[in-house]
Amino acid sequence: MSKIEIQNLTVDYVERNKSFTALKDVSFSVEAGEFVSVIGSSGCGKSTLLSILEGINFPTGGQILIDGEPIKGTGSDRGVVFQHYSLFPWMTARKNVAFGIKQVKKKISKEERFRIADQFLDKVGLEDFKNKYPSQLSGGMQQRVAIARALAMDTDILLMDEPFGAIDAKNRTILQELLLKLWEGDGKQEKKTVVFVTHDIDEAILLSDKIVMMATNPGRVSKEIEVPFKRPRVRAELVQTKEYGVFRNELLSLFYSDIASKIGGDEVVL
Amino acid sequence: MTFKKRYLRVTNLLFVILLLVQLLPNQASKDPITAYTVWFAVGVEVIVLAASSFVKKIEGLNLFLDIIGFLYGLLIVWTLATAKFNLLNPALFPAPGQVFLQFVEDIDKILINIKSSVGIILEGYLLASAIAIPLGLFLGWGARLGNAATYISKFLGSIPPIVYIPYGIALLPTFRSVSVFVIFLATFWPVLAGTMSGVLNVEKRLIDSAKVLNVNKFTMLFSVILPAALPQIFIGCNQGLTVSFVLLTSAEMIGARDGLGYYVKQYSDFGDYTRTIVGLLVIGIVVIIISFLFNKLQRFLLRWKR
Repeated sequence: MSKIEIQNLTVDYVERNKSFTALKDVSFSVEAGEFVSVIGSSGCGKSTLLSILEGINFPTGGQILIDGEPIKGTGSDRGVVFQHYSLFPWMTARKNVAFGIKQVKKKISKEERFRIADQFLDKVGLEDFKNKYPSQLSGGMQQRVAIARALAMDTDILLMDEPFGAIDAKNRTILQELLLKLWEGDGKQEKKTVVFVTHDIDEAILLSDKIVMMATNPGRVSKEIEVPFKRPRVRAELVQTKEYGVFRNELLSLFYSDIASKIGGDEVVL
Repeated sequence: MTFKKRYLRVTNLLFVILLLVQLLPNQASKDPITAYTVWFAVGVEVIVLAASSFVKKIEGLNLFLDIIGFLYGLLIVWTLATAKFNLLNPALFPAPGQVFLQFVEDIDKILINIKSSVGIILEGYLLASAIAIPLGLFLGWGARLGNAATYISKFLGSIPPIVYIPYGIALLPTFRSVSVFVIFLATFWPVLAGTMSGVLNVEKRLIDSAKVLNVNKFTMLFSVILPAALPQIFIGCNQGLTVSFVLLTSAEMIGARDGLGYYVKQYSDFGDYTRTIVGLLVIGIVVIIISFLFNKLQRFLLRWKR
């Protein structure tokens, strides 16, 4: 049994008396400890898919099973990082993390919560910013706090919706490497199951075990691709290899053939 | 900051002029009043010099000294126009010294009146906020009920609370309870409206963030929605506070037996305009102090905002 099974998921919206299919028959599964990226251009329904996984949106057809049980709403087995507004602006970085811990582990003491919060803020390199409010932190730092919170909550599953989409290029690579390092760990702990939504191909290759490529209109899975590179991965070494270039081009042509069909062209030459 | 920037200021020059003006002979025999103006000015100047010595930011000092400069200027003109040259009707325009003297003589009475007025405001205001904020949270959160409540509160809130006074007098046993009731109404509607609109305007993504953390309803309402709505709640609270003062002093002028509005009304009825001016100034000072404290609280609770 897979950790997450997405079965024939369909989402129809009705907007101004026009029905619109955001997702049509989407099915794939994610194994325990697997890092899966969902990639696609905007409008392919990848964020809709994730919001159903989060439990804040509901499908019109099909279902998602986690450990064999259908999702009925939000749950403390899943931690989430959004692109924006993950943090509560009236709480300091520390309190934001501790607040997240409190929601999943009701029994531990306040001191313990803050101790764990500090530990994870250290891990994401925010030792000196623990008592700052989100408005006093840069976008990249805010996402570090959000990641620290999701990890500190120690849920089986991590759901990330374009977490680095609004970060500048340099900080994005730093954060990708940080996430990679934290997720790969030292090999002793069990790895978290991650579903990561992105539109950045390099990000998806670097981080994932499997990439689910989605196409638009209606939103559907166009291809599932295993990422063949072994771990632990180091970006600088990985991008040098010939295999990386070949694999990347293959993904790109898949990605753009969808866009080409959408704009009505025959083929896009890369 | 240099010595020049700290101490050689127009404000201090005006202080010296104010003292020199006091040396001019008085028109009538009003000797004690000169002394009271001098004592007042010296007291203020001590604060000015202390501020000049310890304040670190020049902008803050400039603002403070400019305000005090205006005060000195006003006192100079006022002294000249009354005590020194008798340009104004002395019955309507007492000299500044007379006002200060009256203030000192009446201080016990004034304190009792301040206590009475502020007590009524606090009681009505806190009671209204304590009910309106939780109610607004629940109504704003339950969208359907909230829609109806918005219209009802718009209608009821549009009735100027002062018109409830005659009816309140018929309903309630004491004038004090009528005042509390009117302050309650004046505060209740703006705070309720502010809270509900605050709740309705909370970013949906912020609520989603809380939902995915799997928070329970209580935490959602009081740890997420309440702080997120707080800036707009404060808008309602500010509005309520302003209206409360207007209402209370008006109400006190209608039928009270104490309070600052009563003090002003009673003495102006007797033609005692020195005390009338004392009353006006005291009301101004009390309002400023309360607004200042309220602002401090607001800044503290909203310190997370940029």
